[in-house]
Amino acid sequence: MGKKVLVVDDDPDVRLFNTTVVEENGYLPLEAENGEEGLQMIKSEKPDLVILDVLMPRQSGIRLYRELKTNASLRDVKILILSGIAKKTFLRSQQALTEFGENQVPEPEFYLEKPVDADVLAATIKKALG
Amino acid sequence: MTKILLIDDEPDILRVLSRSLRADGYEISTAASGTEGLSEFEHTPAEVVITDIKMPGMDGIEVLKRVKTMNADTEVIIITGHGDIDKAIEALQYGASDFINKPVRDEALSIALKRAGEKIDIRRRLKEYTQNLEGKIETATRELRRRTNFLSKLVRSSYEGIVATDEHLRIVVFNPGAERIFGHIQEEVLNSRSLSEILPEELTALFERAMNAEKAFKELPWREAAIRSKSGESIPVMFSGTILVEGSNKLGTVAFFQDLREIKKLQHELVHSERLAAIGQTVAGLAHGIKNILHGLKGGSYLVDVGIAKKNNEKLRKGWDMVKRAIERTSDLVMDLLSYSKERQAQYEPCAPNAIAAEVCDLVRGRAEQEHTELVCEFDPTIGQVLMDPHTLHTVLLNLLSNAMDACLFDQDTGKRWQVKVRTAAEPDRKLRFEVSDNGTGMSDEVKQKLFTSFYSTKGQRGTGLGMLVTHKLVEEHGGRIEVQTTFGQGTTVSVWLPYRTENQAA
Repeated sequence: MGKKVLVVDDDPDVRLFNTTVVEENGYLPLEAENGEEGLQMIKSEKPDLVILDVLMPRQSGIRLYRELKTNASLRDVKILILSGIAKKTFLRSQQALTEFGENQVPEPEFYLEKPVDADVLAATIKKALG
Repeated sequence: MTKILLIDDEPDILRVLSRSLRADGYEISTAASGTEGLSEFEHTPAEVVITDIKMPGMDGIEVLKRVKTMNADTEVIIITGHGDIDKAIEALQYGASDFINKPVRDEALSIALKRAGEKIDIRRRLKEYTQNLEGKIETATRELRRRTNFLSKLVRSSYEGIVATDEHLRIVVFNPGAERIFGHIQEEVLNSRSLSEILPEELTALFERAMNAEKAFKELPWREAAIRSKSGESIPVMFSGTILVEGSNKLGTVAFFQDLREIKKLQHELVHSERLAAIGQTVAGLAHGIKNILHGLKGGSYLVDVGIAKKNNEKLRKGWDMVKRAIERTSDLVMDLLSYSKERQAQYEPCAPNAIAAEVCDLVRGRAEQEHTELVCEFDPTIGQVLMDPHTLHTVLLNLLSNAMDACLFDQDTGKRWQVKVRTAAEPDRKLRFEVSDNGTGMSDEVKQKLFTSFYSTKGQRGTGLGMLVTHKLVEEHGGRIEVQTTFGQGTTVSVWLPYRTENQAA
């Protein structure tokens, strides 16, 4: 078994889809169903990649991303955002938080908008872990 | 200067008296006979006439009578001789102001003149006062007329409908505003119709009660009501009334009406355009919902592919379930969206609300058992068959009931015995209350605030974010209202009041 990939999404169908793609491509899938649980697992399981949804109850992806990128020990965890929210909207909300006096965070390296095809998702995961 | 006319047939007396009176400052003219005296009086009227009573030809009594006829205000002093006392009394009866005896003493004369002067003075003042009073009354009358005109113009030009009645509730004022609202013209109702002929029963009853009440309550506060116009149209109005009271007497009533047709129309248009705007503005939210569903479809078909390729039945089944769920979600979203965007009028039909509530409970009973949630029904047995929209009731109850079950399902406090309760209750004013309560998660302030916001959902991809919006809209279209009480962590109670009709007011 190779690298660990954590799927954070509140929708069980999305988790099933994403973890299956992860598994079929030879990685070890992990699941969390909200931002809070996601952060705990990142700390305890140290995944190599996090596939992160944006709109979730109990800490959104926007918050979790910010928390990861401003924490020195978690900053290097690779993140792939996979959301129904457009990248533009995600960036604008991050920018708004920065303007409210919070730390500047870098743009996510990998961003996919739902719906996404399994092969595109698989290719992006490979690229991120490559 | 007071003018005095002296009449005496004795020239000596005339000479002596006129000299002494002139010395006292009077203006004197003289005449030697009654006839001469009268023509002098006609020529230059004196304020005081002093006349001897006994004269040849016309005597003093006759002079007195004639002078009084010509000017009743003239003071006449009679000079009497010894033994004329009967005549003197007769003179007083004819209006002489005084008499003095011969020989005329200055002192007696001046006293008599002084009295006459006082009388003249009083009479003049009285006259002045009377004239003044008349003037004042005229001024007041003019002012009153002016104000009455002003008030009646005010009533006439008021855009509000104003209808006033006497104490028997017979219409005595019916302004053009009232003509516009009621469709009657003034001539048709004034002094001939009673308030009960143009107002619905309950409004007339208000006035009757107010008129008959021992303790006068004078104001009927503003309220919304509907009146029926001459043509039979039901017209929404704001209505208020006043009992007109003077002292302890009730004089009559006034009713004020504001035509709400225009406002209602605008409100309706506003609601409509707000709904369109909400749909337009949240296309992004809708797109997001659809994107998630598509993602689920792609995921499902991927799993099916994997399952087929690897002959893995479990993957195949999971993928197929995913596809089916995506189809279900699409259908939910489209149905909610349709019922939200479509304007619909409540369709009143005979139905038994308790039976509909029971039907909805049956629909979710299986789910409730699976999720270990107790379903409790408390139906008010006094509710029988009524006229209301069964579709509205069914959809609203099903939405609220699924929400209540979800609130229990999502509750993380596993120590609870979850319970969902559905209650029905008959309320006054032809209203029914439907209450759905749960002891599940309850709502945070944020969730409560966004409860009726489009595309807001706490159920992740499971909710369309339209359920409460559709519920709210259906309740409003049925003329009802909805109230939500919730405590985070403890549960939620949603109460819906829906008005119903009875068979005899089906129209």
